[in-house]
Amino acid sequence: MAVLEVDALTKRFDEVVAVDNLSFAVQPGEIFGFLGGNGAGKTTTLRMVLDIIRPTSGRISVLGAAPDRRQAAAIGFLPEERGLYDNMTAIDTIVYFARLKQMDGGEARKHGMELLERFDLASRAKSKIGEMSKGMAQKVQLATALVNHPQLLMLDEPFSGLDPVNQGLLEEEILRASKRGAAVIFSTHVMQHAERLCDRLLLLRKGAKRFEGTLDEARAELPAAIEAIAKEDIIRVAGIASAEPKEQLDGEWRRWSIRLDPGVSAGEVLERCTTSGVALRRFEEQRANLHDVFVQLVGGEENR
Amino acid sequence: MIANILLVAKREFRQVTATKSFWLTLLLVPIALAIGPLVGDKLQDDTATKVMIVDQTGGGVARTIEDSFTINEDRALLVRLSRYVQRHDFDKADPQAVWAQHDRWYTNADVASFRAAGGLKAALAKIDTVRPEGVPAFDAPTPDYSFLPPPAGLTEAPADTIGTQAKQLTQAKGGDDKKAAADIVLLIGKGFPQDPTVSLWSNDRPRSSFVIQLQQVLTQAMRGSLLQQQGVSPQAAVAIETAAPAIAVSTPPPGGGAREAMLVRSIVPLALAYILMMSLMLSGSWMLQGSVEERSNKLLESVLACISPEELMYGKLLGALTIGLSMVAVWLGCAAFAAYATHGAIADMIRPALAPLTSPGAIIALIYFFAMGYLAISIIFVAIGAMSDSMREAQGYLMPVMLAVLLPITMLIQAVLAGNNGIMVQVLTWVPLWTPFAVLARLGIGIETWELIGSGVVLAIFVALEVVFLGRLFRASLLAQGQKLGLKQIVGRLKAAPR
Repeated sequence: MAVLEVDALTKRFDEVVAVDNLSFAVQPGEIFGFLGGNGAGKTTTLRMVLDIIRPTSGRISVLGAAPDRRQAAAIGFLPEERGLYDNMTAIDTIVYFARLKQMDGGEARKHGMELLERFDLASRAKSKIGEMSKGMAQKVQLATALVNHPQLLMLDEPFSGLDPVNQGLLEEEILRASKRGAAVIFSTHVMQHAERLCDRLLLLRKGAKRFEGTLDEARAELPAAIEAIAKEDIIRVAGIASAEPKEQLDGEWRRWSIRLDPGVSAGEVLERCTTSGVALRRFEEQRANLHDVFVQLVGGEENR
Repeated sequence: MIANILLVAKREFRQVTATKSFWLTLLLVPIALAIGPLVGDKLQDDTATKVMIVDQTGGGVARTIEDSFTINEDRALLVRLSRYVQRHDFDKADPQAVWAQHDRWYTNADVASFRAAGGLKAALAKIDTVRPEGVPAFDAPTPDYSFLPPPAGLTEAPADTIGTQAKQLTQAKGGDDKKAAADIVLLIGKGFPQDPTVSLWSNDRPRSSFVIQLQQVLTQAMRGSLLQQQGVSPQAAVAIETAAPAIAVSTPPPGGGAREAMLVRSIVPLALAYILMMSLMLSGSWMLQGSVEERSNKLLESVLACISPEELMYGKLLGALTIGLSMVAVWLGCAAFAAYATHGAIADMIRPALAPLTSPGAIIALIYFFAMGYLAISIIFVAIGAMSDSMREAQGYLMPVMLAVLLPITMLIQAVLAGNNGIMVQVLTWVPLWTPFAVLARLGIGIETWELIGSGVVLAIFVALEVVFLGRLFRASLLAQGQKLGLKQIVGRLKAAPR
């Protein structure tokens, strides 16, 4: 059973459609990337999953039931805008949020201390949040999301504002949660994190889904480009849509930028070159990265 | 739901009680109330007004004036002593003594009898034989006037120089002794009473009671002189001038008089209305700071991921109510301690004040209106906190609300103190924002049962409507950060806004 299922979800704010007929599902143990530009509807969607705001139409199922605060015990959430009570100590903050999620006080304190230990903050457990650096406070807030061993972990722009060391720590926590079977859904602007972590991705543009699938499937959305060093006879190989000479090398050899016909793979073209005796000094497939896919599918987005 | 509300309330309570301002306020109020009367006593000018009479007629008129004033002073002393004896039931100390007879206006003969029996000193000696331990001793009033002899040679000085010297005498001196030699200098000319001119120099506007009594004495002297000129004997003239009715006075015992009783009975209800107002203003401002901090620290989304806006709002209200009641409990505890520490003297005094609160119905009404008053105003603070991104912004909303709540209440307390149960008090009783204060204040002077129940029902309906509408405003405002908020937007949020 999917931990989170969203079906034909729509949210309107007056005339603005923030989320438009969105459907997706996240399975246990899966790391699901929620990508989109500013105002794409990511935060609105997460707020609807948390029952902070209600959808205009559509259906959400969290652990098989409609969103409700009673499911808070199974959910961990790290909002995009971080903040904690300045006057509370780190451990009291973690225990407070754990208890709001129906966790036993003693258990919350024990696991809270374990998390602080892991985040190298055990010595600051009784320090007030207001006395901590921003990075430390962010780790405490991450601990409030993890303390209840959530089955659904939702992280809204979790890497923003973190230094590289803490980004690595967060990646470890995401992988750790996934390994113990939690469904992890996070939104981000940083494509490298999504490429490294996500099993599947969803790209949003103006509230509507533009893509859902694996990283490879995302890359396949853009036609592959090939850089080859060959003689002029390469342009006659079947499956090549266009070949543009880039540089004249010695003799008849040239550097070519080649685009393939839709549905034709680089491997097929290489095979045809070999069988038809087209000489090659270099044949390199340049696959689109997630950044290119993002720019292609989501680019040009206007802020809401 | 209850568990979450209690968690939020506990956190709010702990946050406020962790602040220095909470403890300062908590302790400063009883300290200020304890020091206030002491400072008041110190600031009160209890020195007698110094009167110097320059009598150029030979001294007889000056003696008459002085006698008249001292008799009146002793009469006032006798009245006060009589009230003290009656209050504590000390008549048995000497049932025949003039101060043990409380049913008449004391005449000059009574005062003379009091003096002949040894005056205050002898009376207190007798009273002390029956005064139990713990009952405060009699506090004798300071005389209003003291009479001083004029400096040598002044009486014989020419009339035109007396004025200059009198002005100097009534002017404050420089140096260490800054007090004037006399506060009032009175010149009775040689020609008095044929020449009725009497001159008075004073370093301040003389009290009307002084002038009236002076005029009365001098009028008597003049009339006596005129009667004698008409052939009436001096004894007959004095008898005519001093003829006065014997007025029998019947008053309730101390604390039992209509106005006095009303004031005493209103002490506790008025104090509760005042305490409600003070604790609301204090806890309201702390609650507001907490709400604004939640918004400015951007942690509302984390909280709302765990609990509903309603649970958050109810938790905040409960936290505010707990803070307010804790403050009231501490202040009442201080009052109880003061009553105990003064060996029951205060308790003895406030016993009549507690009379309106002796019935279970009155106690229930008191608790109900106090708690509902707290809720009714606290919800407004919570809603303001939810709408404001900063304390500066919150102050903008808070100021008109505070004025709307406080101004009528100060007028209400003054009206109740003056025994005025008029149209303003009636109106305030039925306007829910002021109902708790008006009802609490009126518990002492009396409020009809139907008014009590009716205004209680109206208040309950008002609080329910507040919970619905300000609850919507609270919910709609929580995550709407940085938006320009005009009247249109506020009205929009008050309506059933979709989430």
